Amino acid sequence: MELQDQLEELEAQGIGIAAISYDSEEVLADFAQRRGITYPLLADDDSTAITDFGILNTVAEEGIGENAGDPDVQADVAKYVSVFGANPMIVGTPYPGTFMINSQAVVTSRFFEEFYRERNTTTNVMLKLGVGLSPIAAVEGETAHLTFTAYPSNTSVTVGTRFSLALDVVPGPNMHVYAPGAEEKGYQVIGFNLDKPDIARIEPVEYPDSEIYYFEPLDEYVPVYQEPFTLLQEIVMDGEAETEEIMSNLDALTLTGTLEYQACDDAICFLPQSIPVSFTVDLELPDRQRANR
Amino acid sequence: MRIIIPKALLSLCLLISAGLSFAAEREAIVVAELGPQVGESVPDFELKDQFGETHTLESIMGPNGAMLLFHRSADW
Repeated sequence: MELQDQLEELEAQGIGIAAISYDSEEVLADFAQRRGITYPLLADDDSTAITDFGILNTVAEEGIGENAGDPDVQADVAKYVSVFGANPMIVGTPYPGTFMINSQAVVTSRFFEEFYRERNTTTNVMLKLGVGLSPIAAVEGETAHLTFTAYPSNTSVTVGTRFSLALDVVPGPNMHVYAPGAEEKGYQVIGFNLDKPDIARIEPVEYPDSEIYYFEPLDEYVPVYQEPFTLLQEIVMDGEAETEEIMSNLDALTLTGTLEYQACDDAICFLPQSIPVSFTVDLELPDRQRANR
Repeated sequence: MRIIIPKALLSLCLLISAGLSFAAEREAIVVAELGPQVGESVPDFELKDQFGETHTLESIMGPNGAMLLFHRSADW
């Protein structure tokens, strides 16, 4: 599990961790040993905590119940239970997701998906929370206007993985680049322009808060970034059964496209730039290895 | 032969069928709306981990909070 690799970082941030599932203590012990997992995997084998949290997957039960033939139920089964149809094994599981809580046990953010196959990776959650990561497989660049580091949140992904390309940008001295809203004034907003892969979808870029800059030569106010910032480009791997077929014949996914931006200083506006970028992440099939019993 | 159904009985039949179709209607599931929302507290729990140690919210909690992950299973 990729979370194990992030333990140190989470501990340094003072964040406790627990993973809860309906597995028995024995299954979890076996799993933890095989994978070298040291953080607590909690056995909620009668789904009490899952039910108390209000996230028990009730569609799983419906899918094998008396309304199993109902087309609405079948549609929900494909979305929440399994693309391969109803399965009694799913009864008792939660809708998978993550809660971030503060020290008063109040939820500060939550990461749940509607389609059961789509999952945020832990590193992606951490990036979204602004918890620093050490960039892996980074693409670094320096132009006349800025330096940037672009890196995927994960080096390997699977069916339904929601991950990010993170872009750390440090504008040069006296330079600014454009934030959303600046396109109305005719400027190129910074962002990725990625080619859509066959087996994934590209989400809109998530921008941090920008500042309003007064550009004296034109007497105008524009949203910009002048300080170092990070933007996130999320990518969601498809979760359909057919995609799994396609993915089983591939070893890696290469994302290609460009980093687009325009930079200006307090006197000169430079032409929009388009820098080719390419990222490769390994593809793994969903883990199907079972505990030895 | 004409069958005469008393009005009262007819409306009773309608009521029953309306009631039945209501019962058959499913509530759409929106996972985003299930469980504690941002700003709400999470319930406590008492569960054993892979080493046989019992945990509660308090034992998991770090100085700045915690990350609680709910997985479908570690086994499949």
